[in-house]
Amino acid sequence: MATPGHLTIRNVSKTYSLPGRPLVNVLSRVNLDVEPGAFVTIVGPSGCGKSTLLRLIIGLDDDYKGEIELNDKRIVGTALSRGIVFQDHRLLPWLTLEQNIGLSLENSGWTRAEKDLAVREHIALVSLSGFEKAYPHELSGGMAQRAAIARGLASRPEILLLDEPLGALDALTRIHLQDEIQRIWEVEGVTMILVTHDVEEAIFLSNKVVVMAAKPGRIVETLDIDLPFPRDRAAPAFVALKRRILTAMGEDGGKPTARAA
Amino acid sequence: MSNTSDTIEAAAVEAATVDLPAHAEATGRRGLQLPNLTGFILPFIILVLWQAAATYKWIDPVFLPAPLTVMTAFWKMLTKQKLAFDFLASINIVGQAFIYGSAAALLLGIAAGLSRKVEEFFGPTFDTIRHIPGIAWLPLIVLWLGIGAPAKILVIAKSVFFPVFLNTLQGIRNVEKNYIELAKVLTLTRWQLIRKVILPAAMPSIMVSLRYAAGLAWALVVVAEGLSGLEGLGFLIFRAQGLLLTDQLLVCMVIIGLVGFAIDRSMFLAQKRVLKWKQGYDG
Repeated sequence: MATPGHLTIRNVSKTYSLPGRPLVNVLSRVNLDVEPGAFVTIVGPSGCGKSTLLRLIIGLDDDYKGEIELNDKRIVGTALSRGIVFQDHRLLPWLTLEQNIGLSLENSGWTRAEKDLAVREHIALVSLSGFEKAYPHELSGGMAQRAAIARGLASRPEILLLDEPLGALDALTRIHLQDEIQRIWEVEGVTMILVTHDVEEAIFLSNKVVVMAAKPGRIVETLDIDLPFPRDRAAPAFVALKRRILTAMGEDGGKPTARAA
Repeated sequence: MSNTSDTIEAAAVEAATVDLPAHAEATGRRGLQLPNLTGFILPFIILVLWQAAATYKWIDPVFLPAPLTVMTAFWKMLTKQKLAFDFLASINIVGQAFIYGSAAALLLGIAAGLSRKVEEFFGPTFDTIRHIPGIAWLPLIVLWLGIGAPAKILVIAKSVFFPVFLNTLQGIRNVEKNYIELAKVLTLTRWQLIRKVILPAAMPSIMVSLRYAAGLAWALVVVAEGLSGLEGLGFLIFRAQGLLLTDQLLVCMVIIGLVGFAIDRSMFLAQKRVLKWKQGYDG
């Protein structure tokens, strides 16, 4: 079982400078504390910097001010202790499902047997047993995204980042995979941070929802979600939270059916 | 360098996909029923027309001997002359030229693809050499190496080199940035990145160019042998023309066509095997 990580983000700011253009504040003084084993979701409009924040946490971008620490250690570059699932499944088309998952263990330092076991366990975890030798083009969109989740978890990271992982899926598959993610989070006990446009998805899955706004990219509200799991999307408390978050997100607020764009 | 390579690549893709659908059908049904005979209809019609042209004297037999005469000539060339020897001489040249040319192209193409410095170092020189056709090199190379096999191997290897080099380079440069990012997230080393991500991603482009280059090499050996030397199918063809041995000329032409067909089909099978992961490759 993975050791859940404790993520601390302190005063993180990031600017983009393009020659001849004014500086763009992508992130402005962001503070966030993610408890070990928590499920935190970041919602916000396009351009609020939520995906940029994930890139900083995963270590693909080191050019920022402030501190990001995992278990009190400053994050430098990428590491197997931090996993990520992208919106596109990003499975390598020339590798089979098990090879794709195994790729995340290349530098784990584990023995052959430990790697094989981890691959097998994680394929089972996302209910893809029997598809070990399948190539990505033989998998449906939902299956490919589950495989990507298995790859993100196989190296037993302390934290798993999910960058709009269900954004490209159809509505039914998305709801089904939300159940799956909820179950996987409870089974694995790993800290998870999800970025999404979908407020309902955020409430369904999280202990805590962080609402961000754009220009400059910043956190405007943080809500603890105390509803018991599994959650009922039609429960009055659920709907009330949804309305509250939409309001916090600004112009889309107040319209219960609206999904923030 | 990359501007001109696009057209080469496009041409190579075209060359490699021309007869793909017919073949896909043929292999798909193999073992279940009779092989698909659609592809044999046209050759049969041509053979019938050829025989008719001979029988009804539409064309002077000196210029177009009957199919049976050509078959007899084939047998004579095989048993009384040394057709097999000439055939193997051509195959030997093409085989060596293809192996040397493509091996050098893969090596340098990968190096140039991975490093802009290497590309910049070779770029101008290669782009100039590339535009001097192999056949234009032949006279000089023959002066140096003589009329034997080495001169032809060198010239054909040069013609094999460029499409493979450019497609390898371009194939590597076209690797999706997302995959590089993924490799970084998975903490792959540079060597792991090259082996597990970059080379497989470039493989479709490389395989297309190898198939194209193999066909090109076979076509060129005939020209090279016709221009210099005293053996090989190309030599036989031009000798037959000079001696007005039209039946022998046709024997050589048919052999060249069939061997070219066989080369292309085997390259296609190799391509299908290497790229079995590729979507839409149901050949």
